[in-house]
Amino acid sequence: MSGQRSIVIVGGGASGIILALHLLQSPSQDLRVTIVEKRPSFGRGLAYSTTLDDHLLNVSAEGMSAYADDPEHFRRWLARKGLGQPADTPYYAPRGIYGDYLEELITTLAKEEPERLRLVQGEVVSITPTASGVEVLLANGASLVARTAVLAVGHDEQPAPPARFAVRMGSAEDTPLDPSAPVLILGTGLSMIDAWLSLQAGGHQGGIIAVSRRGLLPWPHRPGRPMRLDSADIPLGTELSYFVDWFRDLVRETKQSGGDWRDVVDGLRPFNQRIWQSWPASAKRRFLNHTKAWWDIHRHRMAPEIHTRMKDALRTGRLKVLAARVLAVRQEEGSLATDIQHRQTREIETLHIARIYDCTGIARNLEDGSHTIIRSLIERGLARSDPFKLGLDVTRECAVIDADGSASGKLFAVGPLTRGTFFEIDAVPDIRLQCKALAEAFTAP
Amino acid sequence: MLTRKGKYGLKALVYLAQQPAGRLAFVGDIARINNIPKKFLDAILVELRNAGFVQSRKGKEGGYRLARPAEEIMVGHVVRVLDGPLAPFPCASRTRYQPCDDCDEATCQVRHMMLDVRQAIADVLDKRSLAEMRDCAAELEEPLQQQA
Repeated sequence: MSGQRSIVIVGGGASGIILALHLLQSPSQDLRVTIVEKRPSFGRGLAYSTTLDDHLLNVSAEGMSAYADDPEHFRRWLARKGLGQPADTPYYAPRGIYGDYLEELITTLAKEEPERLRLVQGEVVSITPTASGVEVLLANGASLVARTAVLAVGHDEQPAPPARFAVRMGSAEDTPLDPSAPVLILGTGLSMIDAWLSLQAGGHQGGIIAVSRRGLLPWPHRPGRPMRLDSADIPLGTELSYFVDWFRDLVRETKQSGGDWRDVVDGLRPFNQRIWQSWPASAKRRFLNHTKAWWDIHRHRMAPEIHTRMKDALRTGRLKVLAARVLAVRQEEGSLATDIQHRQTREIETLHIARIYDCTGIARNLEDGSHTIIRSLIERGLARSDPFKLGLDVTRECAVIDADGSASGKLFAVGPLTRGTFFEIDAVPDIRLQCKALAEAFTAP
Repeated sequence: MLTRKGKYGLKALVYLAQQPAGRLAFVGDIARINNIPKKFLDAILVELRNAGFVQSRKGKEGGYRLARPAEEIMVGHVVRVLDGPLAPFPCASRTRYQPCDDCDEATCQVRHMMLDVRQAIADVLDKRSLAEMRDCAAELEEPLQQQA
């Protein structure tokens, strides 16, 4: 192994694949990349395993190229598959097709370069730092030795403990459902929209109620002109209220000159990580508690055609959205009795529900999460949660920080796991930039 | 452009960074030692407080102190709050943009160059903290003290 740059990537979803693709761009012949994925297929992860054509990407095709330096890559691939789209309109491809794209890229590369890239199916159960690198142990007893390991396990797959009567859609607990049964969805963001679309596609006829504290629904995309901003224009390092005032003023001025709030939100996008990183802890905490729900519906928007369908369903009552809190869930004969308290009236109502789906969002405390390897690293003090419990504590160079606060030289993390440090790191446009920077650091001469 | 306001604000903050952690400084002292008109300084400190860089306490014993460690407050962040977007020319700003009446900004080579200049300004100022400014001030003062 000496002289080799060997890297084990834990997780073969979008983040892991995109990192591997960037690593393999290096001409270095001593590069050895191994991706370990517990699912049978590579490149899909949680987001791109769906086979439903209604589950569209929330980012248009240019944003989805796997390569940071080649934004047209995905569009060209689509065109080769006979799925070409006119270049001047935003195209939101089905997510399953995006999974096909990543899978094809990585499996082709593994065939072409068997020396430099290896795909291993299995579950990583432990990572132990050694004198010269890391030892990665799989559930089947196999062990891999490398210089560095990169955690790319992505989002948690299980509902958080308070929602223990709830199930994740598509999980083993999501057993067949009576098509007329009443359904409750926790959360009113894009995951809720996905769940509602899946129920629709499965011919569900029963009432669907979606509930969240504020009952805010995501906005649709609309073609616009993202504002051109430089970091020199944007207030950094201030308290939250100062930033919010600046943002509101800019939106008002943009509207007055004929623009749209989306132009501001999208113009800020390249700077969101810097803005987050510049804030004091107090501003971050206030943002998470008070502003994030509002920010999310403007920032994380849906394809316009899906929004139209959602509006229709709301108008006809097939979908109902409530601003309320779930107080308690009791298992009663034949149903889940769910007490909710309405936000406006403070009235408490009991709903009788056949199935509760958890779509409350993807951030949750990793310490009791479903990823064995992350829990094990935290228990052994090799990693810790970030101060806001959004993910793992990592440096801006993606190095995992241990229980004592020291950054590892052997253990790294990419993608949604690094949300505490990067914040805006759930979507491909940001993940590919992060992966490019880390790949360059790993393969620097 | 760095105005007098921006300059005074930075001087006041460096003064606060020199104080023992947590101690409140009187506005009168900050003004006198740094040669800043007190009324002007009052207004500057209110803006810095609204942006979350300093904290204040009212009353006889009142005064100002930094809201967080001097290492965490970046010079460029302070200048944006006091002087607006960093810009060497009025036209070289995207949000507070003021067109010149004698040229077309889309093709103006001067503006194009100045947008690069301001990026360079931001890159320098956003990497320097108040703590670095304070320590560099201490180095400047040392030779003078040795002579005295």
